[in-house]
Amino acid sequence: MSLEQFALQTLNGLTFGALLFLLASGFTLVYGLMRIVNLAHGALYLVGGYVAVVVMARTGSFPLAVASGILAGAVLGLAIERLLLRRVSGQELPEVLLTVGIAIVIGDLCLAVFGGKAELLPVPAELTGATRLGSVMYPTYRLVVMVVAVVVGAGLYLGLQRTRLGARIRAGVDDREMASAMGVGIDRLFVIMFALGAGLAGLAGAIGAGLLTMRPGADLDILLYALVVVIVGGLGSIPGAALGAIVIGLIDAYSKTWFPEFATFAVFAPMALILVVRPTGLLGRAT
Amino acid sequence: MRAVAVGLGGLVLFAAFSAPLVLAPYPLTLLSLVCIAAILAGSVNLLMGQVGLLSMGHAGISAAAGYGVAWAAVRDMDPLIQLAVALGVTLVVSLVFGLMTMRTNGIVFLMITLALGMTVNGLAQKLSSLTGGQNGLTGVRRPPIVADQGAFYLLALVMLLVALAVTYGLTRSSFGLTLRGVRESEGRMSSLGYPVARAKLLAVICSGLMAGTAGVLAAWQSEFMSPAAAGFSRSAFAVVMVIVGGTGTLLGPVVGAGVVVGIEHWLSSYVERWPTLLGVVLIVVVLFARGGVVGAVQDLIRRWRPGDRGGAAPPGVPALATDGEAVVMTGPGAQAPAGAGKEDL
Repeated sequence: MSLEQFALQTLNGLTFGALLFLLASGFTLVYGLMRIVNLAHGALYLVGGYVAVVVMARTGSFPLAVASGILAGAVLGLAIERLLLRRVSGQELPEVLLTVGIAIVIGDLCLAVFGGKAELLPVPAELTGATRLGSVMYPTYRLVVMVVAVVVGAGLYLGLQRTRLGARIRAGVDDREMASAMGVGIDRLFVIMFALGAGLAGLAGAIGAGLLTMRPGADLDILLYALVVVIVGGLGSIPGAALGAIVIGLIDAYSKTWFPEFATFAVFAPMALILVVRPTGLLGRAT
Repeated sequence: MRAVAVGLGGLVLFAAFSAPLVLAPYPLTLLSLVCIAAILAGSVNLLMGQVGLLSMGHAGISAAAGYGVAWAAVRDMDPLIQLAVALGVTLVVSLVFGLMTMRTNGIVFLMITLALGMTVNGLAQKLSSLTGGQNGLTGVRRPPIVADQGAFYLLALVMLLVALAVTYGLTRSSFGLTLRGVRESEGRMSSLGYPVARAKLLAVICSGLMAGTAGVLAAWQSEFMSPAAAGFSRSAFAVVMVIVGGTGTLLGPVVGAGVVVGIEHWLSSYVERWPTLLGVVLIVVVLFARGGVVGAVQDLIRRWRPGDRGGAAPPGVPALATDGEAVVMTGPGAQAPAGAGKEDL
């Protein structure tokens, strides 16, 4: 393997890692505040992706397609939190079971509405070319995906650290009851957070639809990666999600080139190792 | 009451065993599928009802066993060798499940088992030299003794009864008591000197062996193995069976398997969107009928018997205290009206 090939695979890994970060950050934020493992997160990603594809086909506007993907995820998330999860609030098992039911329903309805064939989001002309990075040419769109992930990551981090809403959220993460007693409207925070997490899943879907195809089952494939990322990085931690996403993205890209038969296993092995050495994940806090 | 229950049970058993005499092959296939699904759901229920651990990856274990049988079967190996291969694979996979989860509980257990199940699914897709990849393994032949669907159904039925008997024995043993202790308070059990992690590991392996049994039967039933057998939906459906039937009850998984197999294989010829229906059933049961079908029936029986305990038992009453019904109620929330106690996954 030449150096160029290695650089190319590294870039592929980082691109996939960027996508995984968008997905895993929403997942981990929701878990951090609400203690809900949202197994419908992959389904929201799929909906975001499909909606983006449809809007792109109707309007031809890429920004509008991405925006509607985010909106679709957020609105669906809002509905799920308000109509279903709220009824079993605070009960771990029923919450996760509801998200399983939702994942099954959304996955099946997507098949009914969008059909069984794979859909790829056509990337606008100004993003289709390749950009020269040193000695390698790399697709511009993939670089844009990385930039989006960095911007979103920085935005989330600053939003959590520097804004009033962020402070409330951090208070809720640290001690839900105490924050509530201090006058933080925890119910409203939950809705905002779940909609934000779902919107991030929708964004990941819309962006991801230009990289990977949207097809039945894509929701579950990506959910596995998101799970592994947050387990490796540490549940509830945004920097953990970033680190986990990069690690898993790179491992995935390298293993797919070098030993494709074991690609799934190669992603799973670091998860096993981390669980043994550091059960809370790389940057997770002990609970 | 006890006499009625025993009589009813005997009648059901008689009907179950005489089914091959009167039914056509297709209904027998459906019944075999119910038995197989019930064994898999029972293995999930064993962990959930006893230890309070919800596995979202059990289809991975059963599919691994199925691949073991199929791998040996397409190489024309003796059925006993097929079983030995399946047993070996099952033990290895359950050991991995157990070792990786024995220090976890609740949500983390669920996430790791989910990831492990999907890893098996991924390996089945990619490791095509052993698994045939996306095409799967075709040409698996059942052992000659059970080639006939009626005979195979009887085998599946007997295996289901064995699984139920083992589960019943386990819940009544001191090991079962230890597991329920872990479910109620892990910290207390470990302060008392119980090896909690080892108990969990053992429980996962027991449950894995049961799931493996279901996998072997499933491979023989369909005479085909594909990665879908290890997919998320298979694991999720097993959980749906447990929840719909009634968590922690002995017969809940059987009832749930009947419901799910009924929807998947029978109702699906009338309703195209049957997975949506399954998902909605799960959501409705979680929201409104936490005890599942068996829990609802138990509530009915309790109400129907005036003066016995005066309506529904208060939440928190040890489930084993109610004798007389044909089912053991050992799970959290198996009888509590609003599923009290179920929060501690």
